[in-house]
Amino acid sequence: MIGGGIFIALGISILILTIPFPSLDKDHPGPSLFPNILAALFIFFGSLLLFKARKSSRGKRPTEEASETLPSRNVWNAFFTLGIIVAFMVLESWLGFLLTSFFLLFLFMKKLGTSLFKSVVLSILVTLFTHFIFYKILRVPLSPGLLGW
Amino acid sequence: MEFALHGLSLLLAPKVLLVIVISCIYGLFVGAIPGLTATMAAALLIPFTFFMDPVPALVSIVAMSAMAIFAGDIPAALVRIPGTPSSAAYTQDSFELTKQGKGEMVLGVGVTFSAIGGLMGGCTLMVAAPLLAELAMTFTTFEFFWLAALGLSATVMVSRGSQVKGALAMILGLFLSTIGVDITLGYPRFTFGSVELLNGVNFIPAMIGVFGVSEVIRNVMEAHVAYPIARVKTGKIFASIPQLFKKYKLHVPRSGLLGIFIGILPGAGADIAAWLAYAVAKKSSKEPEKFGFGSIEAIVNSSTANNACLAGAWVPAMVFGIPGDSITAIVIGVLFMKGLRPGPMIFEKNPEIVYAVYFAFILANLLVIPFGYLAIKTSAQMLRVPKKILMPAILMFCMVGSYAINNSLFDVGTMLLMGVVGFFLEANGFPVAPVVLGLVLGPILEKNFMMSMIKTDWDFLPFFSRPVSATLCTMTIIIWLFPLFSAFLEKAKNRNQVPMQ
Repeated sequence: MIGGGIFIALGISILILTIPFPSLDKDHPGPSLFPNILAALFIFFGSLLLFKARKSSRGKRPTEEASETLPSRNVWNAFFTLGIIVAFMVLESWLGFLLTSFFLLFLFMKKLGTSLFKSVVLSILVTLFTHFIFYKILRVPLSPGLLGW
Repeated sequence: MEFALHGLSLLLAPKVLLVIVISCIYGLFVGAIPGLTATMAAALLIPFTFFMDPVPALVSIVAMSAMAIFAGDIPAALVRIPGTPSSAAYTQDSFELTKQGKGEMVLGVGVTFSAIGGLMGGCTLMVAAPLLAELAMTFTTFEFFWLAALGLSATVMVSRGSQVKGALAMILGLFLSTIGVDITLGYPRFTFGSVELLNGVNFIPAMIGVFGVSEVIRNVMEAHVAYPIARVKTGKIFASIPQLFKKYKLHVPRSGLLGIFIGILPGAGADIAAWLAYAVAKKSSKEPEKFGFGSIEAIVNSSTANNACLAGAWVPAMVFGIPGDSITAIVIGVLFMKGLRPGPMIFEKNPEIVYAVYFAFILANLLVIPFGYLAIKTSAQMLRVPKKILMPAILMFCMVGSYAINNSLFDVGTMLLMGVVGFFLEANGFPVAPVVLGLVLGPILEKNFMMSMIKTDWDFLPFFSRPVSATLCTMTIIIWLFPLFSAFLEKAKNRNQVPMQ
């Protein structure tokens, strides 16, 4: 039901955002035509989804859905993954690729339950391997950062 | 002939052969690890293909996908978990046979019939693509508009689960394709002042997000389980093949053709081909009771179909620029990245590349036998690689791969956002393949529609009056009406059954 609502809201937002779009000429639509068609389709199929979800949830008790929830530790792993990506975006240009990669890989491996020794060794190896492939072979200008490498 | 030889020489260049060998090993590894898919492997390959010439870029995807689809059979037989969704249809049969002490035969059948299916697909691509390309030469914007519409409609129709969800996923992909400067007036749409968004959503980080990051999130959310690995002798894995080939000599071409046909349909991938071949084989089998309890017939048919499907998906991708599955959607992105426009013109302008792709399918599927054999020999070691080490490494490759395309952290942000979107869609039963196909086909659909409208001064008639255009339009409408027809037939069937009871 929430999914249907989100898509309807997205459709309405697109319709609002396309109001200032210019026309091709005074009789024919321009850049707004395609997004408006998509907005209408979002609203139509979103409503259909909402209607179907309401119909199928009528006979269900709320406990049935509640029993399917995941353990909180696993949900935190997902948030941690997203946090790692955000941290990479923030730290890469400042600390440089080598330090950022080692630090984030180490944190992620530890969080997933790898032993301290293995986390350190494997983080170094994966960092050096990635650096070798992208920096040395593919010549991607990874940030040197604090180390200046 | 000259172009064929040129294509072959490009393929057999030492550098390209090295790329093929590395891609084969990569594909086998990804395919054999449960939870990692061939599409994810293709998405992670894109940053590397960015730095390659067109031929090695394309053949790396061909070789990787052929290996990954086969390798999915290994954990299915040894630990009862399919390595990729394409092996899910016959996982139960594979494992049951392994329990009966026939694991050696199962793995031999998997590797041999995957190669045969793949070779059938490669040969079909070689024959069908040039013929269709000649037809496609006569197409104008009207026909290309309908082709895109047909492709999108078929994507929704064959998508897993609810068709409403499939439609919403496709519309989301189409909407994402509208972000950036529009093609008629050059007006920036939904960019919110961002310079980076003027060129639209960058396809590569979007793919890495949808298929790579979302898989990492899904995997780290699952509780870590160490699965027991069945011990299998691997000395004589090909011993029973001649006998089985004789027994199922008609099944193999049937399943191969079915797989190719499913591949040609936009949106339907190797997993659907395997399920369908399984169902058809069960229906026509003399021993249907064995299906699900250890049927070698099921494995022969499904493993032929899923590898045949791969080449089938390249037919619409190369001829019309309409992807047959998620992997070919990525291929189309790679072709654009290399400055090549998929469609009939590629057959005229770059025939040597087309031939190199044909030969790559043949070579990759021949290599399935030796590489597959080696993978089977080392399967126990591959299956022991823990996810708690693998997932952080994959995530690092996703981030650096997204960054590498434009040296931009904005692309890493795109990857993050698309990863979250992909994860939530999958977690709520929305298929993600239509998002990708929408993203690829959106610009084709809009550009051909607007160009048609401008050149005819907003006259809709040519969309319906030109013969090929009208045929494609009719096919599209039939697909739209199909759910209504099937619902009507279902109701009629139920109504007839009630009085009889």
